[in-house]
Amino acid sequence: MKIIVAIKQVPERDAQVRIDAAGKWIEEADIQYAMNESDAYALEEALQLKEKHGGEVVVLSAGPERVGTTIREALAKGADRAIHIDANDLGQRDSLGVARLLAEAIKPESADLVLTGLQSDDLGLGQTGVILAELLGLPHASLILQVEKTEAGLSVKRELESGWFQTIELPLPAVMTIQSGGNKLRYATLMGIKRAKTKELRRIAAADLAVENAPKAVLEGVALPQKQRSTQILPGTAKEAAAALVEKLKFEVRVL
Amino acid sequence: MIPFSFTLAEPQHFSIAEKLLLAVLIIASGVLFWRRFGPILNRILRSKKDPGFHLGNIGHRAWEFFSEVLCQSKVIRQRPLPGLAHAFVFWGFCAFALVTLNHIAVGFGIGFLAPAGMFGRFYFSFAAMFALACAVGILGLFVRRFFVRPRWLGDKVSYESGFIAFLIFALMATYLAAFFTTDDAPAARALWWAHTLSLLIFLPIIPHTKHLHLVLSPATVFLSRGGFSAIPPLAGDEDFGLVAGQDLTQLVSLQAYSCVECGRCTEHCPATNTGKILNPKEIILGVRAYLNDIGPQTEQPLLGKYNSQEAVFQCTTCGSCEFQCPVGIEHLPILIGLRRGAVNTGSWDDAYGTKLFNALERGSNALGISAAERDKFVQKQQFPIFDGSQEYCLWLGCMGGYDPKGREIVADFARVMNFLGTSYGVLRKEKCTGDPVRRLGNDLVFQQLAESNLEMLSQSNVKKIVTICPHCVRTIQEDWKAYGTAPPIEHHSEFLARFVDRLPTPAQSEEKIVFHDPCYLGRYRNVYDEPRAVAATAGEVVDPPRARERSFCCGAGGGLAFLGEETGERISHVRAQELAATGASTIGTACPFCNSMFRDALGASNQPAPQLLDIAQLVARSLPDNDRSHSA
Repeated sequence: MKIIVAIKQVPERDAQVRIDAAGKWIEEADIQYAMNESDAYALEEALQLKEKHGGEVVVLSAGPERVGTTIREALAKGADRAIHIDANDLGQRDSLGVARLLAEAIKPESADLVLTGLQSDDLGLGQTGVILAELLGLPHASLILQVEKTEAGLSVKRELESGWFQTIELPLPAVMTIQSGGNKLRYATLMGIKRAKTKELRRIAAADLAVENAPKAVLEGVALPQKQRSTQILPGTAKEAAAALVEKLKFEVRVL
Repeated sequence: MIPFSFTLAEPQHFSIAEKLLLAVLIIASGVLFWRRFGPILNRILRSKKDPGFHLGNIGHRAWEFFSEVLCQSKVIRQRPLPGLAHAFVFWGFCAFALVTLNHIAVGFGIGFLAPAGMFGRFYFSFAAMFALACAVGILGLFVRRFFVRPRWLGDKVSYESGFIAFLIFALMATYLAAFFTTDDAPAARALWWAHTLSLLIFLPIIPHTKHLHLVLSPATVFLSRGGFSAIPPLAGDEDFGLVAGQDLTQLVSLQAYSCVECGRCTEHCPATNTGKILNPKEIILGVRAYLNDIGPQTEQPLLGKYNSQEAVFQCTTCGSCEFQCPVGIEHLPILIGLRRGAVNTGSWDDAYGTKLFNALERGSNALGISAAERDKFVQKQQFPIFDGSQEYCLWLGCMGGYDPKGREIVADFARVMNFLGTSYGVLRKEKCTGDPVRRLGNDLVFQQLAESNLEMLSQSNVKKIVTICPHCVRTIQEDWKAYGTAPPIEHHSEFLARFVDRLPTPAQSEEKIVFHDPCYLGRYRNVYDEPRAVAATAGEVVDPPRARERSFCCGAGGGLAFLGEETGERISHVRAQELAATGASTIGTACPFCNSMFRDALGASNQPAPQLLDIAQLVARSLPDNDRSHSA
């Protein structure tokens, strides 16, 4: 099975973000970048499918030169080769624009399966994967936690609200967006990094893909969240406080 | 029988037949010895070269050799009675070198030490004193091994050891008895032959028993890497640590064959003592068995049949084994080497370990908390930011920056620095030093963390660092060396000890403080007196039964603080109980990891627990402004 995983590089979780002078994006200097979390789960899913059924895992990422570090991380974790769409103007593209770039790079590969994360940790639009399916003319499913290969195609487990799950079947080839937490992520190893050096990393200039670059959606501005404190002290003995806490978690926060 | 004279009886006039027999026996004994020893030497020499090893600092090596081999200092200090018995056997052997040469020469009619001559009388009597001490010593060791039977020697009774003890006793007895007879008495000849036979039977038994340490351990002690837990660098793109036989280095192989199976490492191991499967002695013997069965320069994995991965990952890297070892085995580089082999190739699969690695791959601290939390803490405490104008960079570490109790310790230490008028600042950003990943064998993440921190320190123009965490001290000072030069760093106990005269003291104190030596401060850094001097300003400092270099680990080291539940008893509970049992009202610590482990252990006990304070907190309690700021 040939699997393409589209991954995005996003600011590191601990990055201290500052809004840039124009107020439309964050200052990119001095920020460390990491692989988008749900993309890391998409990669993990691809690697596990390859370990079970054989085949090839190709990672695909669009962005400036810095995304090379994230691509190498994916190669170190076990992807076989990589494609880097060299583009400095992702900020000016909307989801459709980015998906068009990715689709052009994917088409000649004729993959069996295209995976990507559910949404990005920075913009969180959750659009790219779904648009990608449309552009490629393939069936798709989103919010996937588990993928099983069947004789006919795939059986996948989707996450619904309130702890509900849905299992659906779909044929191959297909596009899927993966939810975080379905698998355990592996750690990068020294051996992986060393082996990654010899793996193929193909660069394509975004301009060479000749896709339309007129955004339909334009980012107006970004803002930092307002700080708000609402601490509640639960009184009583440890037992009473614990009972009150369970009550709140169950009925107010609804996480239990 | 002729009474004792100061003259050793030597039979004269050996017949040609006797001389021939002697020659044949010597050759047979030598050949048998070499047939067993040759392959061992070959396996050691065929192992790969130890990366980073150089035979520098001969003076220090000579001193270690003199102290540990010739004076038997470690052998005696850590186990006085059996140590002394062993030392007498060893010194007996040394004194016998000349005696033995002459003894064989006599058989060929070319003896060079006349027993009646001035020097002969002196030397043979001198050797006789050692022979007596050696005979008593070996008898004592025999009784210990076969009747007292300390459990560290293992469950199996080694009959070979008994036979060796008998041979050594026979060597001494036949020598001493020759003072009670005359040259031409038949007894003299019988004793001479008995002595010769004991010697020639002894020789071929050496290589395949633990008595190989006689031959190898002097070299092992002299050739040790030096330092404590000196982890060798990885050599080239195909070195991932100890994965297979081809990764065993000459030093590792030499050390594996040097093990005398005394079990001192096992006796002090916190894992073994709390019912885990790790037994440091068995790890070394596992490597030896691998070398015997499979040999170096092979691709068969080291973990599996000969050593278990589970055992290797139970090590807290407390270093008691390496500290105690009398024959120069460096357990930590071997244990950590095996972990490196498993982690660097991805064969160690542990949910907690993976979580820790991912947290440090992507984030900044081992606790997996957002770095913004550290910023908030720094702001709340109003710690000055290091700008190059202050004397010290106060390194918070993961515990000091994120752990609630660790934060209290740092805050209190900062207040003491304020009181002393020392200028300091904290870095805007700081990442984990990489201690837990270093000890768990993840070279990739360790390198990333070391390089990233070194860059931040050099950008900030830091000249001196002080920290509350002995793990940070060790890692920054020693383990980062492979990636750059860090500014000098010291532990807050060393800093505070310089100011003991100026530290605030309580108005009156009858407090009894039991001090727990952190492994990474004591055995790793050889700092024992400083934290005691600091604690002594607050009360009477007492030692628990296992103190200083024999201190028993809290269970947190080696990355284990971040791994899952232990099997067997919890190390922290065993130690906390030992500390509480001293009856002290306060447990004094000098490491935030120990503190955190004991906090949980004491909390789990139903007994009234002593209070638990870091040495910085013991001091801070008496600060004049103590009422003003209290919380962290």
